[in-house]
Amino acid sequence: MRRRHFTAIAFAAGLFAAAPAHAHAFLDHANPAVGSTVPTAPAAIALWFTEHIEPAFSTATVTDAAGQRVDRGDAHVAADNPAELQLGLKPLPPGTYTVHWHVVSVDTHTTAGTFTFNVGK
Amino acid sequence: MKRTLWCAAALAAVIWLGAPSSASAHAVCGNRVFPATLTMDDPGVGDELSLPTIQYLPIPATGSNAAGHSIDYGFEWDKTITQDLGVAINDDYFTQHGAAQNLHGWDNLTATLKDELPCWDAHEFLASVGVIRNFARTGSSQLINAGAIGNVSDTAPTLYLGKGLGDLPIGYLRPLALTGELSRQFSDSPEVSPDAWAYAASLQYSVPYLQQHVKAMNLPAFMGRLIPLVEVSMTNPDRGATTGTIAPGFLYEADTWQLGAEALIPANAATRQKQGTGFIVQMHFFLDDILPNTLGKPLFDKDIWQ
Repeated sequence: MRRRHFTAIAFAAGLFAAAPAHAHAFLDHANPAVGSTVPTAPAAIALWFTEHIEPAFSTATVTDAAGQRVDRGDAHVAADNPAELQLGLKPLPPGTYTVHWHVVSVDTHTTAGTFTFNVGK
Repeated sequence: MKRTLWCAAALAAVIWLGAPSSASAHAVCGNRVFPATLTMDDPGVGDELSLPTIQYLPIPATGSNAAGHSIDYGFEWDKTITQDLGVAINDDYFTQHGAAQNLHGWDNLTATLKDELPCWDAHEFLASVGVIRNFARTGSSQLINAGAIGNVSDTAPTLYLGKGLGDLPIGYLRPLALTGELSRQFSDSPEVSPDAWAYAASLQYSVPYLQQHVKAMNLPAFMGRLIPLVEVSMTNPDRGATTGTIAPGFLYEADTWQLGAEALIPANAATRQKQGTGFIVQMHFFLDDILPNTLGKPLFDKDIWQ
């Protein structure tokens, strides 16, 4: 029995040790922060993910409370950080805005999500 | 003939290993990730490995029998066939100390075929249907003779449900999620081992969901990966008492693995006659992340529903 314990633990430990750095890319943090209120309208948003993402298949949009796009449609992966997605914004009046992101990690797993931030209220 | 079979198997392996896959084997629906729960199944299919799952239960003294305890060392391997169809096998090595007699040996083998239905993204609603087959007489004869494991096989059509509450208007309640499982176990010999209903539910609060979709709280990294939850699992045979457990605990979600720990509290008097309050701990590996090009991807990169 003790040998079976060892085998199971060794196998589990081996899997853990063999785990590569890639996994699903989930949102780590953002600027403006998730659910935050900023006093002045940001000119761009930045999203940092838990894994490197594929530039060709990773994007984001921002919509206002009426569902209208307010981003500049220039979502791109940062040149100096393969885990960061950047997106320019049009001038934003005070209000609540929703960020929609859809990314593919470098091991091809797709993830997507939404969050809101507020400007000046 | 044997050589031809080996060649075909080798070719299939090469095609499988080389084929690109875009599968996401986590149980993801909209913003929601449904984690693997410990005493019941989650509502999705995936490439995952639970190893080990260790369960400790004290056994109360009854009549002339002294008290004792049991420890299970279990595993479950989940493998996707297509993106939405998967199989799972699980078993455990059972030990009992005291409580009339010392026992040890393998439990009966259980296999599951499960299909994940299309998810309703906007409402984080995910459902699967499956069939669970418990193969009697595949376990230890010592355990069978002692009545510790069943000697009659059963088949259980099962419905799995998951509902995230991300569509609630109150932000701090949006990380909540409910999952459920309902089975009807049809015994191969109902006169020997009765048919039964099995049902389970979990209530979860996902701190990762809170941080990613509701409000960044700047919590310490460890806390940002926790999912406190409570699971309730019950079995109601057509003849005999209903038994089950209430299991409060937590899950810790790392990038490629999950650690879970829960107390196992008897849910009623009938259960308390058989067991005291124990615990369950589990290491769970996301094979789709650890081995994305081999064991961690579907055999066929298709989705039945698309």
